[in-house]
Amino acid sequence: MNEQIDKELDRREFLARAGKAGISIAAAGIASYLLYDSTGPAASIEAQDPVTLPDFSVPQIPAQTMSVVKGYDRAKTVDKAIELLGGIERFVKLGETVAIKPNVAFASPPMLGATTRPELVAEVVRLCYSRAGAKQVYVTDNPINDPASCFALSGIGKAAGQAGAKVILPKDNFFKYTTLTGGKLIRNWPIFYEPFTKIDKLIGIAPVKHHHRSGASMTMKNWYGLLGGRRNIFHQDINTIIAELAMMVKPTLVILDGTQVMMTNGPTGGSISDLRRVDTLIASCDMVAADSYGCGLLGLKVTDLPYLTKAHEAGAGTTDFQSLKPILATVS
Amino acid sequence: MGPARRRVRRPESAISFCLLAVLLFIGLGVFIKQSDFEMARFGINVATAELPLGESEESKDDQTALNSLVPTGFETLSKTGVYNPENLYEKINGKAPLYTESGFEKLSTQRYVSTADESLWAELYVYDMGTVKNAFSVYSVQRRAEAEPFGPMRFAYRTANALYLVHGKYYVELVGSTESAELFRAMAEVTRKIRANLTIDPNAGIAELALFPEEDFVAGSVKLYLVNAFGSEGLTDTFTARYKLDDETVAAFLSRRSDPQDAQAVAKGYYEFLINNGATSKQTAKKILEGKVVDFYGTTEIVFDTGPFVAGIHEAENQQAAEKLAERLLNKLREVINSANNE
Repeated sequence: MNEQIDKELDRREFLARAGKAGISIAAAGIASYLLYDSTGPAASIEAQDPVTLPDFSVPQIPAQTMSVVKGYDRAKTVDKAIELLGGIERFVKLGETVAIKPNVAFASPPMLGATTRPELVAEVVRLCYSRAGAKQVYVTDNPINDPASCFALSGIGKAAGQAGAKVILPKDNFFKYTTLTGGKLIRNWPIFYEPFTKIDKLIGIAPVKHHHRSGASMTMKNWYGLLGGRRNIFHQDINTIIAELAMMVKPTLVILDGTQVMMTNGPTGGSISDLRRVDTLIASCDMVAADSYGCGLLGLKVTDLPYLTKAHEAGAGTTDFQSLKPILATVS
Repeated sequence: MGPARRRVRRPESAISFCLLAVLLFIGLGVFIKQSDFEMARFGINVATAELPLGESEESKDDQTALNSLVPTGFETLSKTGVYNPENLYEKINGKAPLYTESGFEKLSTQRYVSTADESLWAELYVYDMGTVKNAFSVYSVQRRAEAEPFGPMRFAYRTANALYLVHGKYYVELVGSTESAELFRAMAEVTRKIRANLTIDPNAGIAELALFPEEDFVAGSVKLYLVNAFGSEGLTDTFTARYKLDDETVAAFLSRRSDPQDAQAVAKGYYEFLINNGATSKQTAKKILEGKVVDFYGTTEIVFDTGPFVAGIHEAENQQAAEKLAERLLNKLREVINSANNE
């Protein structure tokens, strides 16, 4: 039997085949060697020391981490919500400098709900100055549309200015590169950084909106405004980027405005009919908890927004907002 | 006697294992590198990537065209914005994929402000979607529930502060800064000028709209999903329409395929998609629907094919109403096929 097999493939033929295979491998190797770019793609930026956003959070107090206030008058509901957490003095100390980061993404009129309501920004500015004795309050964002138009048409620029805040518009030199430890997407990426080097406390204020890509835009998604460069590429992995933003930014306080919720056609909306009155405002030291509560205002469950679970698992906060024993109140 | 099994020699085995090991090594390397992907270094050059610029550079043609639409008593508030698929996100952020996945080619925007009251302003968005079908798709899937018919156009509606319409291959939005009769008058004037000034192909239409049965049809309820209708990859170019029959609201769907074989394959694919996702076969009293009705978590789904069409009923609460509508739809499609065959 073996003799028969040996006749099918004799030594000469085996060597010939092995030779051909060797030539093929060698050719592939040579081609790979010639095509190999040992330096890789050119570094996209000059080498820089990466920056890290400071931690602006305050120590948590049990059962005083989150408040939910029902009511339509935003000035009243935000006053009450902050008061229930211990008052603005808990978050902002005398002589401190504060940055407020509203959602000013679009050059859109306030009534469409695509941006943070100006009266809400103004009220928080007022609280920082009059109750807490802040030295300086900045209001800033890095909008997608032309920044000056966004601050003007959203009404936020005027409202913030009238309340005594200084509006900071983005400039090229305000951006520095950062890498989030353990991050998959935020790596060697420019962020809107400079204004946050001058401050002691950071407050995020965002409306509750439907979002075509991520399902919902709330306080965590609001930090998307800190990303520079062609940030739209992160829409391909929107849940990861939102979770990473929650890991990257450690605010003092977040305020989630669900007074009027954009139920459909977000994040831009366009019609008043996209909005629904829900009369709810949330203040929280834990933005994952705030957004987990907020998704219910859109008729969604926590599991409908995968970024919430990702952020929870990454330790940025808790989706189990009930465990924080939120303080509930209603104002007329 | 069959062919003798050749004995594999040791050197051959060794070489084979070496090659497999090399391939495994390469695969592992690709996997590790892939999971270590750094966007700033690969795939995009952050240094040359612009920070958001807001309004992109306008073309003179677009500016002229949009400036010619200024309504009486208003003036332009800003430069004309022109956006392409690459930078559309700069204008509408997370909503950009809705358009770019539907054939979007260009967006031109312009704001008009009242010369008498600066709080009265409106922004015009003219999306060039390439075809009337694409324009209808983005119009229909965003149609507001509170929409009221507007003007003589077939695809146009208004809400308290905005106007939305399809003009040939263009999807047009006019968003007002507030609720105002004066602002609405101005926006209506802009739409009239658009119809007069913006040339379109008069023969371009959407033939599928005539395929839905008329009885109990809810006006303005047709939507067109270009891809992934009902979450199923195979269901493309799918029209849905709502019906109000027997006090039940039922949604019918249909998609015209390239040929009957394709229709059969797509119908089978969608049926299997439902079954694979938890649907179970359901009994039916109607012989023509046998094997086409399923229970999907308490709702009734029906899917069938006839000629080049895939059609059916989506998520109906009431099986009887669903089957009644499915039968009507099937008969209507058969009529269409027969009359086409007789021509």
